[in-house]
Amino acid sequence: MFGWTGKLLHVDLTRGTCERREIPIDILHAYLGGRGLGVRLMRDYFRLGPFDPDLPLIFAVGPLCGTNSPTAARLACVSRSPLTGTIYDCSAGGRFAWRLKAAGLDALFITGKSQQPVFLSIQGERAELHPAQSLWGKGVKETVAALKEHGSVTTIGPAGENGVLFANIMMGEGNSIGRGGLGAVMGAKGLKAITVQGDGVTGVADKDRFDAARGDVMRLFRASPVIFGELGIAEYGTPALVDLMAQRRMAPTENFRSTFFAESGNYSGPAIRKECGAKKEGCYGCPIQCKKASAAGEPLPEYETVNHFGALNGISDLHAIVKANSLCNELGLDTISAAATLSAFGEARGRFPDAAEVASLLADIAYRHDQGELLSLGSRRVAELLGKPELSMSVKSLELPAYDPRGAYGMALAYVTSNRGGCHLRAYPISHEILRKPVPTDRFSFSGKARIIKIAEDVNAAVDSLVACKFAFFGATLEEYGELLSAVTGVEYGPESLKAIGERIYLTERFYNCENGFSRSHDTLPQRFFEEAGSAGEGIDVPPIDRARFDEELQKYYRIRGLDVEGGFAGRNLLAELP
Amino acid sequence: MRDQITKYTGKLLADRSASADGIAFAAQDDTLITAGAPELAALAGNTLSRLNSLALVAARPSLPFADFLIARAGQGEECIVPQDTETRTFLHDIPFLRRQDLVDDPAPVLAKLLGNRKGVIVEGVGIVAVGAITVEQAFINYSSVFHSTFVKYLQDVLADGFRLPGEREAFDSFRREWLRPLTAAGLDFIGALSLEKEEILAEIERVGRYTVERGLVDSFFGNISATAGELIYISQTAASLDELKGCIDPVPADNSSTTGITASSELLAHRKVYEQTGARVILHGHPKFSVVMSMLCDRKRECAIKDCWKDCPHVRNLGGTPVVAGEIGAGGLAKRVPPVIGASGTAIVYGHGVFTLGREGFGEAFAAMVDVENFCREEYFRQVDRIKA
Ligand code: SF4
Ligand SMILES: [Zn+2]
Ligand SMILES: [Zn+2]
Repeated sequence: MFGWTGKLLHVDLTRGTCERREIPIDILHAYLGGRGLGVRLMRDYFRLGPFDPDLPLIFAVGPLCGTNSPTAARLACVSRSPLTGTIYDCSAGGRFAWRLKAAGLDALFITGKSQQPVFLSIQGERAELHPAQSLWGKGVKETVAALKEHGSVTTIGPAGENGVLFANIMMGEGNSIGRGGLGAVMGAKGLKAITVQGDGVTGVADKDRFDAARGDVMRLFRASPVIFGELGIAEYGTPALVDLMAQRRMAPTENFRSTFFAESGNYSGPAIRKECGAKKEGCYGCPIQCKKASAAGEPLPEYETVNHFGALNGISDLHAIVKANSLCNELGLDTISAAATLSAFGEARGRFPDAAEVASLLADIAYRHDQGELLSLGSRRVAELLGKPELSMSVKSLELPAYDPRGAYGMALAYVTSNRGGCHLRAYPISHEILRKPVPTDRFSFSGKARIIKIAEDVNAAVDSLVACKFAFFGATLEEYGELLSAVTGVEYGPESLKAIGERIYLTERFYNCENGFSRSHDTLPQRFFEEAGSAGEGIDVPPIDRARFDEELQKYYRIRGLDVEGGFAGRNLLAELP
Repeated sequence: MRDQITKYTGKLLADRSASADGIAFAAQDDTLITAGAPELAALAGNTLSRLNSLALVAARPSLPFADFLIARAGQGEECIVPQDTETRTFLHDIPFLRRQDLVDDPAPVLAKLLGNRKGVIVEGVGIVAVGAITVEQAFINYSSVFHSTFVKYLQDVLADGFRLPGEREAFDSFRREWLRPLTAAGLDFIGALSLEKEEILAEIERVGRYTVERGLVDSFFGNISATAGELIYISQTAASLDELKGCIDPVPADNSSTTGITASSELLAHRKVYEQTGARVILHGHPKFSVVMSMLCDRKRECAIKDCWKDCPHVRNLGGTPVVAGEIGAGGLAKRVPPVIGASGTAIVYGHGVFTLGREGFGEAFAAMVDVENFCREEYFRQVDRIKA
């Protein structure tokens, strides 16, 4: 077999066992890997609560991982989110994915709950659980340093141990498995960390075809201003978006009360480069290297993070923002949800936290001290408990990232149709509504958006299963990645067949959610966006979103998806129809 | 979406890439709509409904070149592989269906081919191109296929002469009737561009429109810029030259802001050209004869370089215009064009297109591009005639 290893490692933490099992080849062909494979493997478990010991926590790589495919040394982590209650997946880079593949595995399937804290060590064919009592309570850096000789490390910080609902799982190289609180799921299992080392190689079925496809991808990267342009993400990282979002009047400010922050220039891409001496970093083997690190090697914040610790909380001090980012990384907290929760809390109490207060509140959250106990629940629960539910700027309890939906209607629709809640990375309409890739669309129009969002969700579900990076698709398309995949696996794939796989994955996720009680009533935006205008300026008006038009487009979306008017499956058992 | 279909039908007519009575579109939102020539519209609808995409165009090209390329292709070949940059970067190759392989309903086969490519050619029917997320994208893909087959056919004629019955006659009528004289005469330009933002934006928009109206380039391909003090005003990536309103980014010359992340992928090339030449404006487009002629090289036989389009170190010459190799964007074009463009005010990039300068305004740049293309056109036919003689 080329591309896949056909194996998963089943770890049962309750019984303390590790066992290699075969993954049926048909499943791999039909779900690829990463998100798709993880979602498929959840089929018998999706009804379990997020902290149920039997709930699996799955790490899955893809068929391209271990090859020289651009941006594909990534994995997806899949489980059920304690923050949102939805099926959850997150894509992450770092050396870990590549090493896991080199240990001969397509996936790690972890169930059960250990009585004592443990860490899992995988050394090629050998997998063992070791006591981790001495690491429990330690920050991410110290844990990674302590385990380094075992190979690549992924770990939780205090936030995950303490069950913070937006705790991340951190990859040792500065990447994170973020947003939905999978760190808390790992913590509830008593699993502090995983280390992996391996030296297997991923076979490529057709080397010449692979090289040609790789050349095509690289040419498209070079032709894309967003990727390799002199103002693009390879140069400035995602904070390249700061200036653009300010200019477009869609930078969420003060808990989305406005959409322009006059001081955002303090943390723009060029400002970060100048102030922090940003140098290129990135996921393992990625030619883009969009992540930035300070001269001292400290990871620098992404766009969403600078905006949310910045404009969203009314903070303009770059160094305070960088510090908040580092603290989140160290404690194992999601930066977007942490900052957005602080912002909702700030608006509710009538005062946004200042830079110094942010740092102390973040520590309180991770340890669930004082106000941190409340804040550890995320903005939806915080706002409800404070009696102001309308102040949580979230969808399905997931805090909205730094793209104001009033400034891009595809984004508005994409937030509510995302299976994991208010996330920008599912349909990722920023690509065409703002960055003009592959072609521009009118951001202040709903016309055609239902179909566009549906197609993009399918495409990105495939991308997350390959597992490639979304940023690659600011240049390349499924045409080129289909070629890479066919060349690696020897199985023919193209854009349409990949989109069909993506659709299968998307619908499976939606089906799980519906079975767990989600429906149309959850597919909506916070009221604010339908009632209050954003900040006008530079000839751009940002009116509230027309709710009737929004609802009309959502109904169109359901029809295109083959769903009923409630966004459900009308009694149809989808799973019985799928491989 | 109907308004979009009307708009792009109009564009296909205006640029004369499709036959007036042979244009159809299909688009699907929650329902499928089709418009245009009935048979083609039915084909477009049947094909699109099998695809996870938004729009599709099926049109009969106004020139028979795509069909000739199929007829000239060897037995067993399933696609055409042009060498121009458009194809190399965005299309890869162009699959085709032969007349004898067409069954009653070609839609399923067509959908299968389009499942892997942006556009295909159906012999005797036309070019069918898909737009993943917009109607415009289908139009762009049609244009790319049309452009690439045009360029390749002209190249092949020059290399191998005519080989099919009727080919010479069709070619002659293309030369006599389809082609029109290319001129900058009668166009209005601001002689010396001021530093006023509004004036600069308006002039860039107007020049963009001229390039398309005069048939110098197809609307989607190219970019335009002007400098004003510390700013470069440049058209955005994926912008149509004839619709630049709201699609021009002001970019600080010192990179102090990244709003220009949406600017054309040739921003760096423009910036370097300004640094090295002191010009005020730059016009870049892909006029077809320049593209064809740029790929002619008399050293091909003895030259060891394979990827001429990016690796050729030589500066060749077409009527006083230097021709260099170079890839789009972060490739070598930004390295190779700036050093050579200053002397003549013009440069051609292998398989790609033309850059021209204006020291004060667009009049000079526009006229220069017309001259380059006219020279290449005349030179092309001179060489064709020499072969025929
Ligand atoms: S583009 Fe950035 S996030 Fe994506 S794989 Fe490369 S370094 Fe990682
Ligand atoms: Zn060009
Ligand atoms: Zn050469």
